[in-house]
Amino acid sequence: MLALSPLQSEDQIQLQDNRSSNLWVQATKNILRYPSAVIGLIIITVLLLIAVAAPLIATHDPILSMIGVPGETGRLPGKVPCLPLFGCEDAIHLMGLDLNGRDLFSRVIYGTRSSLFVGFVSISLAIAAGTILGVTAGYVGGKVDNIIMRIMDVVLAFPALLLAISIVTILGPGLLNALIGISITFIPQYARLSRASVLSIKEREFIVAQHALGASPMRIVFNHVLPNSITPIIVQGTLGIGTAILDAAALSFLGLGAQPPMPEWGQILSESRNYLFTSPHLVFFPGIAIMITVLGFNLFGDGMRDALDPRLNRN
Amino acid sequence: MARFIFRRILSSIPVLIGILIVTFALIHALPGDPCIAVLGERATEEICEAYMKHNGLDKPLPVQFGIYITNILQGDLGDSLRFHRPVVEILIERLPVTIELGLAALMFAILVGIPLGIISAYRHKSKFDLGTMIIANIGVSMPVFWLGLMLSYLFGVLLMDTPLTLPPSGRLTPGTYPEPFYLVWGWVIEGEKPAGILVFISRLNILNCILTFNGGVLVDAIRHLILPAITVGTIPLAIIARMTRSSLLEVLGEDYVRTARAKGVREFVVVIKHAGKNSLLPVVTVIGLNFGLIISGAVLTETIFGLTGVGRTLVDSITSRDYTLVQGFTVIIAMGFVLINMIVDIIYGIVDPRIRLS
Repeated sequence: MLALSPLQSEDQIQLQDNRSSNLWVQATKNILRYPSAVIGLIIITVLLLIAVAAPLIATHDPILSMIGVPGETGRLPGKVPCLPLFGCEDAIHLMGLDLNGRDLFSRVIYGTRSSLFVGFVSISLAIAAGTILGVTAGYVGGKVDNIIMRIMDVVLAFPALLLAISIVTILGPGLLNALIGISITFIPQYARLSRASVLSIKEREFIVAQHALGASPMRIVFNHVLPNSITPIIVQGTLGIGTAILDAAALSFLGLGAQPPMPEWGQILSESRNYLFTSPHLVFFPGIAIMITVLGFNLFGDGMRDALDPRLNRN
Repeated sequence: MARFIFRRILSSIPVLIGILIVTFALIHALPGDPCIAVLGERATEEICEAYMKHNGLDKPLPVQFGIYITNILQGDLGDSLRFHRPVVEILIERLPVTIELGLAALMFAILVGIPLGIISAYRHKSKFDLGTMIIANIGVSMPVFWLGLMLSYLFGVLLMDTPLTLPPSGRLTPGTYPEPFYLVWGWVIEGEKPAGILVFISRLNILNCILTFNGGVLVDAIRHLILPAITVGTIPLAIIARMTRSSLLEVLGEDYVRTARAKGVREFVVVIKHAGKNSLLPVVTVIGLNFGLIISGAVLTETIFGLTGVGRTLVDSITSRDYTLVQGFTVIIAMGFVLINMIVDIIYGIVDPRIRLS
């Protein structure tokens, strides 16, 4: 049995803690050196704040129609879109009303919640499933590896959106099912990434040493393999969130994701697209919201990749 | 070389089988009775039984899978429940719309993306470089369908009375009819049913107009194609521009480029010939990878611009529960996707000997 002497354990743990916290501090400092990462981080932080504080920021109930509400001055689109942002004095409805008389600004603000939710959750699920599959494939090898990776090849053989559409067809339309569909399309990426990392460090001395010490496969995977392969997965995950948000918006736009009256950006676009020529602002704002969100994650992911990729760091 | 191609084709077979299993499972994974799911709630028990028997659904699953594969190999994708016509016929009519759109988008992405990337790399850290990269970043972050809507508003409404106006929907101006080339050439007599391949080619409007020397309709078809092609092509364009830039930047730092410059080779020749050739390899891969994006983009873009291509038909069929059509189209798109990836890999192997020898 390996028993650590009190001296060894306390000192070593202290040292390890210092080293690992130093690494994280170093990584954060590295990331913050990249302007694109900083801009991305700011965008993401602001969006998270908006999502959390949506009830405080939104001026109206996002699903309540203003038609017939006493004291309402907002005009329905189709006549003249009246927007304070375009110089028209309507202090109550910043982005005007939508076709059902609901306050568009409040709907766009609340939409942040569902988009961020789908982005984070679908990618987290995909990372969890992908990592388990990839690590298993890489660590066990042989037939198991072959079977898992061939299945991943099949998933990759379908264009992502098409596969998500097919899955939602089976599960039925809805935001949660769209989330599951999107998540499945992302699994192969993370499976391949984690498998590659496992293969690259499986034969290294420190892993062999762990084997010799009698560490269980689980312990080796969780304590040594995963920490060493987490960076590319985090970077890929950040970039993936942007794509997942785009996919979710696309599914909602096609009527397969979020269902009315839920305020979701793709859904708002889908509702208003037939009125594009008379009320373009209804289409404009939710689209801009999607773009800024995705841009935030892309910038942050790109910056993080540049900062954490040792191959790029060499120069 | 032949061995490399053979090996690559062989490695696609398991994936193709996987696709067949997944699309076969699609119909069987539908919640509830497949008969009710397909024929609707009002189908009586007798009708259901007849339906199951007719489609072999009463047989064991492996037998059903066998029938499914045999049918596909014979080019039979079943009859569409909504159109009451063979799915293959519908595919022949609608696939050309998507192919035309995809090729136009790809052309736009390559013809604009590669030069943008080259100039950005060459003028690294200049204002042009910064501007291009900002636009490229915005380009990859934009929802395709939103870009399509905004473009059709800009060119269809705001620029309506200017020469820049472009039609915001459809493939041709209503009332225009491009006479199929097989009728013009006298290959098929009017009233006779033409072969599938002829219909397929004639539905590629631009090619058909060129074959029949129909200049007026050609211009009309191209004008209708511009906005959808830009919409589908923007994300691939941004990716190609970024890839070209980063890969050219890497190559421009190599010793042999410095040697070429030291020899006094003209700068243009250094960038395009010496560095360009080597930097284009990763770009070829990226172009290959973009086919998936283009297909996904086509699904959304066809919906916005009212084009009756494969993507829009597929989405419509999902909402109207036309499962045989969904199954047929999905299997063909996925197989096409595998085929394209295979061709890209083979081209890559031809261009870069290191790949085929590894």
